[in-house]
Amino acid sequence: MQLLKEKHIAYVKSLDSHTDDYEYWLSEHLRLNGVYWGLTVLCILGSPETFDKDDVIAFVMSCWDDKYGGFAPFPRHDSHLLSTLSGLQILATLGGLDNVKKDQLKLSQCLKFISSNQLEDGSFQGDRFGEVDARFSYNALSCLSILGELTPEVVDPAVNFVLRCYNFDGGFGLSPGAESHASMAFTCLGALKITGKLHLLSPEQIDMIGWWLCERQLPEGGLNGRPSKLPDVCYSWWVLSSLAIIGKLEWIDYEKLTQFILSCQDEKRGGISDRPNNEADVFHTVFGVAGLSLLGYKDLVPVDPTYCMPYSITATFQKYGLY
Amino acid sequence: MHGVKRRQWTKDQLKQKKEKDRMKIDVYSSLVNSTLDRRDKNDHSLTALEDTTKLLDMNPEFNTMWNYRRDIIAKLKTELPLQFWDKELKFIMVQLKKFPKVYWIWNHRIWVLNNYPGSPASVWERELDIVSALLEVDARNFHGWHYRRMVVGKLENITGKSMDAGELAYASKKINNNISNFSAWHQRVQLIDRMFANGEIEDRKEFMEKEINYLTNAMFTDAEDQSVWFYINWFVNYPLVQSILGKEQYIRFLESMTTNILMINDDDIEFSGSDNSWCLKILLVIEQRQKELSPGFESHSVQYLEKLVVMDPLRKNRYLHLLSKQ
Repeated sequence: MQLLKEKHIAYVKSLDSHTDDYEYWLSEHLRLNGVYWGLTVLCILGSPETFDKDDVIAFVMSCWDDKYGGFAPFPRHDSHLLSTLSGLQILATLGGLDNVKKDQLKLSQCLKFISSNQLEDGSFQGDRFGEVDARFSYNALSCLSILGELTPEVVDPAVNFVLRCYNFDGGFGLSPGAESHASMAFTCLGALKITGKLHLLSPEQIDMIGWWLCERQLPEGGLNGRPSKLPDVCYSWWVLSSLAIIGKLEWIDYEKLTQFILSCQDEKRGGISDRPNNEADVFHTVFGVAGLSLLGYKDLVPVDPTYCMPYSITATFQKYGLY
Repeated sequence: MHGVKRRQWTKDQLKQKKEKDRMKIDVYSSLVNSTLDRRDKNDHSLTALEDTTKLLDMNPEFNTMWNYRRDIIAKLKTELPLQFWDKELKFIMVQLKKFPKVYWIWNHRIWVLNNYPGSPASVWERELDIVSALLEVDARNFHGWHYRRMVVGKLENITGKSMDAGELAYASKKINNNISNFSAWHQRVQLIDRMFANGEIEDRKEFMEKEINYLTNAMFTDAEDQSVWFYINWFVNYPLVQSILGKEQYIRFLESMTTNILMINDDDIEFSGSDNSWCLKILLVIEQRQKELSPGFESHSVQYLEKLVVMDPLRKNRYLHLLSKQ
């Protein structure tokens, strides 16, 4: 089976026209994330102009949270680190970062929102209500990296916390003591990569991480997120990007994984699902397509495993330590 | 979306769905707007609270609404009767049962418990029973396990007593129910490590010997599943095993592990005609330790790796990498 590029482009384009579906309204809390996922699909497929750039930037800015700073997932919702990263990723991709960077008030509010959510042990809460998760560490560090505002005051304790999420089996958990989960390998390794701190993991740990990650591949080719779990296309991204970050991408079988991702395409309506014959969504579409890009599938735009954005964009980010 | 079967809609079904949806959308979006209007006016009344109940019942993933609800509760805290808090916990449980993997709901529950008047031990003890019941339904739910660690941590704080021994018994129970429950194996490692660190184990040697029996039984019970093997990999490399057993006994432990694993592997060869890849992978780990401890140890690692390259082709590049280091 081939990658149905045109179908996927049409699928992403159609997403915002489903306003007569109740589910569309129920998913407002993920809208900005959804726009980032859709835009990234289009970028990797080489069709970023499918979205109207000005409309998208205007929508992102309408999600700005005046009260707390940062981006909410939807106008009138509250800001959160998850949606703040999506907002900045979209702006960076579309060349609209100056909307935040050149607006002194917004920039300072944004930086304050991020740093005020860092807790004493270096971890981050997603917002003022105290939920701690390594995902939020990644969000915060990635945001600051995109803005070129990483500082040792934030980075050093943050890295300390992320390292504590490393487990005996070579995986990472959402907090110290939590079970390893492939998505946390991405967030923790990504956080270390962004801050130039990967060397804090020993060669033995890197080998152990590679082992745990490559054991996620199942005989049918797909990857799971934890032992004894079913394969799922989104782990193509979480596992592959992690392997790419530690330079061990070839520890899994490319061909079999490629076939698994392609078998999850909706041939009629476009989009990719978690497993064959399931309902497609934009989340699995981006991680399927981004996974294929990492696997070197033909005619796809190269994607940066650390940021899940095109290399052409992330190459413009300042490298921490070289500011 | 996870695990939702793709559906082909007929034109008629689609038309019916859209009609139904139109009504639902009207009700939902007007309630969203009026509730957000209330929030913007800093309305922290019981009526506003009731509106968030209605909305969260329709959409428990609406985190901004949980935020508003918490702000209202925090403002009304001194006026709310004790029954309110139990009712709130019941309301959350209804949502959790429907959506056991939604982070926002778990997060709200822990917030409510932290703000429960007096936050007494009895409330957290009841919570431990509740999380046990939830882990009965899905013994691998990592939200559930994470939440359990938080509840236990809270109880330990309140009572000043470690619950490690009881939690280890709980992890064992979960493993005995299903040997491939890696969440429970993971928890076992956390607890054992902490119990040693905090001096909670009286007879350290006896404990280690019992643990060796436990993992040996486990590996004979299910040699196909990776959970137990990842645990064994940890145990073999856990520095305290050698320091507590002493070098001689540790070497004998490695030898008996080798004998047992080769026995399992031979059974597999007899039964299915091929080696068990996990047996070979863990033999590699054991040999690594043996090489470090006994100079002149006769290694079979190259042979194991060459077999693995052929029998586990998905990961052959890892084995080739390890071969290059032999």
